[in-house]
Amino acid sequence: MLIPHPLLGPRDAQEFTYLGDAALLNRPDGMAADAQAAFNDYVYLRDNPAGVHRELWFHEQGDRSWVVVTRNTVTHEILGAELARDVALAAKAGAA
Amino acid sequence: MKFSGLRVFTEALRGHKGWKPLWRDPDPQPAYDYVIVGGGGHGLATAYYLATTFRKAKVAVLEKGWLGSGNIGRNTTIIRSNYLLPDNEPFYEFSMKLWEGLEQEFNFNAMVSQRGIVNLIHTDAQRDAYRRRGNAMLLAGADAELLDREQVRVMIPFLNFDNARFPIKGGLLQRRAGTARHDGVAWGYARGADMVGVDLIQNCEVTGFRIENGRVKGLETTRGHIGAGKVGVAVAGSTGRVMAGAGMRLPIESHVLQAFVSEGLKPTIPGVITFGAGHFYVSQSDKGGLVFGGDIDGYNSYAQRGNLPVVEDVAEGGMALMPMIGRARLLRIWGGIMDMSMDGSPIIDRTPVDGLYLNAGWCYGGFKATPASGYAFAHLLATDTPHDTARAYRLDRFQRGYVIDEKGVGAQPNLH
Amino acid sequence: MSDLKPLTALGDASARTVTHGVLTLKENNALALVSLALRRDSPEPTPFGLGLPGPGLWASSGSIAALWTGPGQWLLEAPGRAESDFAAEAAAACPGCSVTEQTDGFAAFEVRSAAGEEPILALMAKLVNLDSARFGPGTATRTGLEHMSVFVIRRAADRLAVIGMRSAAGTLWHALETTAARLAEPRA
Repeated sequence: MLIPHPLLGPRDAQEFTYLGDAALLNRPDGMAADAQAAFNDYVYLRDNPAGVHRELWFHEQGDRSWVVVTRNTVTHEILGAELARDVALAAKAGAA
Repeated sequence: MKFSGLRVFTEALRGHKGWKPLWRDPDPQPAYDYVIVGGGGHGLATAYYLATTFRKAKVAVLEKGWLGSGNIGRNTTIIRSNYLLPDNEPFYEFSMKLWEGLEQEFNFNAMVSQRGIVNLIHTDAQRDAYRRRGNAMLLAGADAELLDREQVRVMIPFLNFDNARFPIKGGLLQRRAGTARHDGVAWGYARGADMVGVDLIQNCEVTGFRIENGRVKGLETTRGHIGAGKVGVAVAGSTGRVMAGAGMRLPIESHVLQAFVSEGLKPTIPGVITFGAGHFYVSQSDKGGLVFGGDIDGYNSYAQRGNLPVVEDVAEGGMALMPMIGRARLLRIWGGIMDMSMDGSPIIDRTPVDGLYLNAGWCYGGFKATPASGYAFAHLLATDTPHDTARAYRLDRFQRGYVIDEKGVGAQPNLH
Repeated sequence: MSDLKPLTALGDASARTVTHGVLTLKENNALALVSLALRRDSPEPTPFGLGLPGPGLWASSGSIAALWTGPGQWLLEAPGRAESDFAAEAAAACPGCSVTEQTDGFAAFEVRSAAGEEPILALMAKLVNLDSARFGPGTATRTGLEHMSVFVIRRAADRLAVIGMRSAAGTLWHALETTAARLAEPRA
């Protein structure tokens, strides 16, 4: 698989390590009343879809960026990639 | 139809015209007492033990493809009970004992061959860890022997003992471990279940659950609605997909694991050899093919095929361990979808929906568990209490903090 | 007083060099390295008059060069100054930035072709999974080379630099030399 790195262009997926569902960017509030249940969901439960999946890859043998890759888990087709930093900042701006 | 030597002899005289299909191909009835979703090893074993051991009831197995078309037909056939943790080892040893009596039990040749497994040791720390594991196995009634370097050399002299990075310093041997014919296991359980009246319904994909007031009433399938008293789901890599139909998010990710087989060779490898440090393991099938594999690819996948980097990684591991494997030509590569759980251990439990039960999270180790998984799941379905050896395999153990993490890597399924 | 003698990353008294066919490999033991990272909202400096290169690029000016290593991060190169305190100079030249000495963490190897760019491209094709069409002179990146993480710099059409972990210098040299030697073998 080639991952279309937003800054460096197409790169061999072997240069990356895999973390999992991009929902892991949305860490729950540890001080909230329902924090225990929210953290159980966050740490242990997954949507695990067959089809389009947004997921976190780390460009370890590269520029050490976290990248949010959109990929089809049935065909392995890669549909796009964004810097996780941009995704997180946009989410923060949207929430503010 | 019972198999026996006499029967084989008389059929030979009659031109083999008396053999019949091993099971019927029935249409689904409107309703069953128990419906098992998934006609793989675990689903068929569950139906078999449910119908033969626990209950006289109407039982059906629903399979979206053909029986045994998933991981029971895609694994590398290894059976063993060499786990460390007290929540795992008694269960896998129970499975090992069921393997030992399996062929007599269901009157079918599953080619169970206790040719032994050696886990190789490369460092003092690894020897300590394997000594501890061996002791844990002995405590659970299994067998284990710690081998030194020369004992390993006598048993498997063709390995590269002086690899610069991973010199072989010894091994942990379980003599009762070995291999079994994976398809034969599925066929044996299917035939046994069919003979006691279980309906094995193929080409019948579950598309949804009918749930009323928090209780499962039946299943929507591609062959119409099927009513059910209790539903047991045992669909391995498809667990997320099927259980989403019941509105459940699970502590499971689906990953692809590749396996490899070479051309048939003369007898070379006496048992199963695992090279954990180099992500490689190998055995030899009765047909002579070297059957080997390594790690999962590492990313979520439902594709039943992997990518070339892991092929290269496995080949490198093979070359590092036994350089002569470089002369063997590869015949086939394939992939299967693993239900990787958050702690690397399985789940056999009720779900929040009454009457809906889950058997999942087998990671890449489900084959060896087939008999015990089926037995324990049937026990749970029939009695609503977990089997003694499967008490720890609870769905809510993550929330309660009772994870069973053999490798100690945490909630990172692609590392288990 | 002990009679201490400095050794190179390969364990020799002086930089190792070897030629196979048209490719010459040379250990660059005199290269000073410093990492440079911007702090949040800090402006981009121009150390020693060098405009810092963008993603995937390498730039040189006078006796200093730099390659982009990540967003807001660069590796500064100062040839011939491994035994001076280049980090202190760089810190002074990049006020408000994080500057870290890296010289002794890495080993650098320079590859030079005596026959234009073809031999360099052939070597890259054997060792790294980079698109040579997009890796012309003035580009640089981190990538994997025989499971090791390395920086690769295309200093010129006929020159390639590989900078890897110092603890793996021998392994890296072995990979480079073996490949160069095989490329130099006559084709059957």
